Amino acid sequence: MANPANKNSKQVETTGHVWDDDLREYSNPLPSWWLWTFYATIVFSVVYWILYPAWPIGKSFTRGIATVTVEENGQMVEKPWNSRTQLIEEMQSSPSAVKQREYIEKVGKASYEEILANPDMMAFARSMAKGYFGDYCAACHGSGGQGNLPYFPNLADDDWLWGGKVDHLQASINNGRKGNMPAFPVQGEAMDDLATYVLSLSGEQVDAAAAERGKKGYAMCMGCHGAEGKGNPMLGAANLTDKAWSVINIPAAGSLEEKKRLIGGVVNKGIQREMPAFASRLKPEEIKMLTVYVHELGGGQ
Amino acid sequence: MTTSTAVATEQYNYDIVKKFAIMALVWGVLGMTAGVWIASELAWPFLNFDVAEITFGRLRPVHTTLVIFGFGGSALFATSYYIVQRTCQARLWGGKWLPEFTFWGWQVGVGGGVLLYMLGFTQGREYAEFIWQLDLAIAVVWVTYTLIFVMTLLNRSQPHIYVANWFFIAFLLVIALLHIFNNLAVPVAWNSLESYSLFSGVQDAMTQWWYGHNAVGFFLTAAFLGMMYYFVPKQAGRPVYSYRLSIVHFWALSFLYMWAGTHHLHWTAIPDWTSTLAATFSILLLLPSWGGMINGIMTLSGAWDKLRTDPIMLFMITSLSFYGMSTFEGPLMSLKSVNALSHYTDWTVGHVHSGALGWVAMITFGSFYHLIPRLWGAKGMYSTSMIYTHFWLATIGIVLYIAALWVAGIGQGLMLRAFDEYGNLAYTFIETVTFMHLPYAVRAIGGMFFVAGILVMVYNVYMTIASTKRGVAVHVAGQAAVAR
Repeated sequence: MANPANKNSKQVETTGHVWDDDLREYSNPLPSWWLWTFYATIVFSVVYWILYPAWPIGKSFTRGIATVTVEENGQMVEKPWNSRTQLIEEMQSSPSAVKQREYIEKVGKASYEEILANPDMMAFARSMAKGYFGDYCAACHGSGGQGNLPYFPNLADDDWLWGGKVDHLQASINNGRKGNMPAFPVQGEAMDDLATYVLSLSGEQVDAAAAERGKKGYAMCMGCHGAEGKGNPMLGAANLTDKAWSVINIPAAGSLEEKKRLIGGVVNKGIQREMPAFASRLKPEEIKMLTVYVHELGGGQ
Repeated sequence: MTTSTAVATEQYNYDIVKKFAIMALVWGVLGMTAGVWIASELAWPFLNFDVAEITFGRLRPVHTTLVIFGFGGSALFATSYYIVQRTCQARLWGGKWLPEFTFWGWQVGVGGGVLLYMLGFTQGREYAEFIWQLDLAIAVVWVTYTLIFVMTLLNRSQPHIYVANWFFIAFLLVIALLHIFNNLAVPVAWNSLESYSLFSGVQDAMTQWWYGHNAVGFFLTAAFLGMMYYFVPKQAGRPVYSYRLSIVHFWALSFLYMWAGTHHLHWTAIPDWTSTLAATFSILLLLPSWGGMINGIMTLSGAWDKLRTDPIMLFMITSLSFYGMSTFEGPLMSLKSVNALSHYTDWTVGHVHSGALGWVAMITFGSFYHLIPRLWGAKGMYSTSMIYTHFWLATIGIVLYIAALWVAGIGQGLMLRAFDEYGNLAYTFIETVTFMHLPYAVRAIGGMFFVAGILVMVYNVYMTIASTKRGVAVHVAGQAAVAR
């Protein structure tokens, strides 16, 4: 094999060391572009250290000469740069933060009636609450508020267990809700009749005689669901006379037997559901915007 | 060739090198397959089948441990044991059993560790998930490894220590230091697999990233540079480009790397001055890192035509290119303003893989294609066209992988910081996840290409070894025929 070094016009010496038969090293100098770029990174770093907090000294550190102008007690003051003063500055003066703050002040002062009647504030509410709904509500209630039975009720229909007015919705978000129905050990024919009666309340085509027999058993349900099965939003008791089902999916059940079996399951096992409270996790304006958003989702009352 | 191999086998301990080389391939296939599996789980979550042992959280450390310590670690044991013997012209110190102990210790550590992760036992420290008992065992194995290496160096019959060995020494010392301090922990009880870190809060986070970053620096960079410094000039048949550059970049790299780890914690509760030092030392690290790339690529200067005929050289030069690219990307991402966009996104994951697949795995493949025939006394690899096939599968895989995660990471970063006309955040988290589905699928496909490549290599290696055994048989039969 020809000596590869011959291909170089300027002959470079090796260091003279040889390992493992043929391992050698040329004594080329450092590439000058490499050296100067390395020096440039050193200059960059030194400038960086002068500008920003950098070197520890005892229990303190060099603060750097870069500053940030922030408002404090109505006055503009210059402060040394650190990630906290930078955040304060951005929250005080970045265009997005200013815009958002103005709107939040506006909706904070407005009543629900005023917000619902004002397209501009409503547009802001949708924009702001979309994110909060996605991050805090959607995990259970679904990204469109469609719910997920048997645990998480549908928020996109006009059926409200705890009331659909803005005050009810705000209370639900602030304090959370505990949905609790006791279990009733009704079995056999009595259960079959009771389920038939419950189905008849919402206009299902059922055996009238069985429904009539079941009406007697319904007496124990009346305390919460009412004599006519209209429900009670004070207790979160569902309205049994409409077609909206918030625990079991009756419309999707294939046969009458299946529907009765589903109702029997709820009666025998009861319901224990809980939604957490958000008053301590979100700011009042954020809950207000969420309330408006959820209200609009379900065509609120 | 055959005679010199016979002499070499007597002069050097090749048995231990062979064992580690084979296990590197075994762990490589398993670890990369685990990687493809969890990448697919991210794109198609049903793939976890509700089996706890194979969910992303359990398999992720399985993947990282198998590829870093199983594949990368075994490859480093193999090549460092080979290089130190050949460049010192001395047989590996420690007789038969000490090297053997490091082999079994390492394999049992890696295998036992990943089985325990799948069962849910982890220390919860990234890239150091091994439970405390295994940490202690690994420390003993590592000290033995260091002792074997250093004693072999001391027994050298060469006046000078070759550059590759400097990098291996730095790697051995720093990994020992990192492993021991990062894993300082108080066990819950002597018979419990659980322990609590000795550090807490910000200090614990900084200890972890001091470990994590320097594991990248000294395990995945310095040690593989050692591999590069032997196999690239060997395969090219040319001297290393610059002795002086190798000295300067070695010391600069060793000194500067230690300071940079905190850049993994930008914009968190750490003091601002630690963030500044981490960012600037990362910038300072750029040129020292590139020193290795320049020395490797320039070694081939004047013999570029080899790239047309030698697929092994193609692996090596491509690996150095990816090394250069990822060591440029790293300092860029450690600038705080860039990091504000990239942190917590898949850009980071893409960056790691451009280093891990592009640099670490490619230089290992190239080195192994040089090493395997010499270890087993074959004339060359069984099939050159399979090396080409492996090269293209791997390269296409890496490009798909990195490009997909640039899209996923930068896209998600931009979405998370976008404001609408009211100053509200424009996207919810879940919208960013939906956006990433397609890039995640492409990333998984890129990973499949890469795994297909290593499978081709395994077959090629198997056939190479098998052919030497047949070759011996033919040879003996031939002699018998002549004798008759």
